[in-house]
Amino acid sequence: MSKSARFIRNVKVSERHGAGEWTAERLSALVLVPLALWGLWSAWSLSGAGYDGALDWFRSPVNSSLLAVTLLISVWHMNMGLKVIVDDYIHKPSSRTALLGLIGALCLLLAAAGVFFIVRLALGSAPLPAGLGA
Amino acid sequence: MSSSPLPGDASNDPTTDQTGRFVRQPNGRVRPLSPHLQIWRFHTTMWGSILNRFAAGALSVGSLFIGGWLAAAAFGPDAYAGYAAFMGSPLGLLIWFGITCAAAYHLTAGVRHLVWDAGAGLTPKAADALTVVSFIAALVISVGFWIVLFASGKVVL
Repeated sequence: MSKSARFIRNVKVSERHGAGEWTAERLSALVLVPLALWGLWSAWSLSGAGYDGALDWFRSPVNSSLLAVTLLISVWHMNMGLKVIVDDYIHKPSSRTALLGLIGALCLLLAAAGVFFIVRLALGSAPLPAGLGA
Repeated sequence: MSSSPLPGDASNDPTTDQTGRFVRQPNGRVRPLSPHLQIWRFHTTMWGSILNRFAAGALSVGSLFIGGWLAAAAFGPDAYAGYAAFMGSPLGLLIWFGITCAAAYHLTAGVRHLVWDAGAGLTPKAADALTVVSFIAALVISVGFWIVLFASGKVVL
């Protein structure tokens, strides 16, 4: 209220942080369009290919890089989308904070574990738990 | 007879009124409520919106199965064979098919939203048409993909 409103082409600019989130959702969605089509093509290549086929697929730097990028942007997009759903339906502040924290932690875990697995597969590392003290 | 609180009766304390339903706004009015699902007459864009959010939730669950596939591959041939056996069973194939449908519709509905965000297709007629196109395109992509998968022999029941 204290700051004076800013306008771009007669449209009021958000005084807080809404515009950044809006842009991030659209930007990630836009990038995910071609990546989703590539994902469909990859699912076609990988289905019925078995373990050896999957290893061959991961050895391609293009495949493993694109998969890592797809995973990270998807999880980012997913986290933003789930936040909107929680904000819409969960009104109690403490429940909302707890749920958003849980979702954020799960997203972080999914992203970290996924990239870890992709990197190992791309480098042709020995199957886990090799190297983890087993 | 007990009566439900009238709009504006409750205090202005948002911690006692989580919905904001009875909070008096600074302009003296009570926050208007949009009618809930049962009140609306269902229409095309409404279906499109509800299904898109449903697909988003389904994909969030589905991402765990893709993460599971990555883990199975990283844990070696035995883990991979076990995971492939489960995900190749009728239940597993149903899960993959569900993920395909959710991804296809979230993709086409997302493109529809990007068109709207660009300022196009916003008349009721055009918005309905875009929504129908997104339904059909998603159906063609997901069902077509699985027909080809079975026809090629890559996937068998």
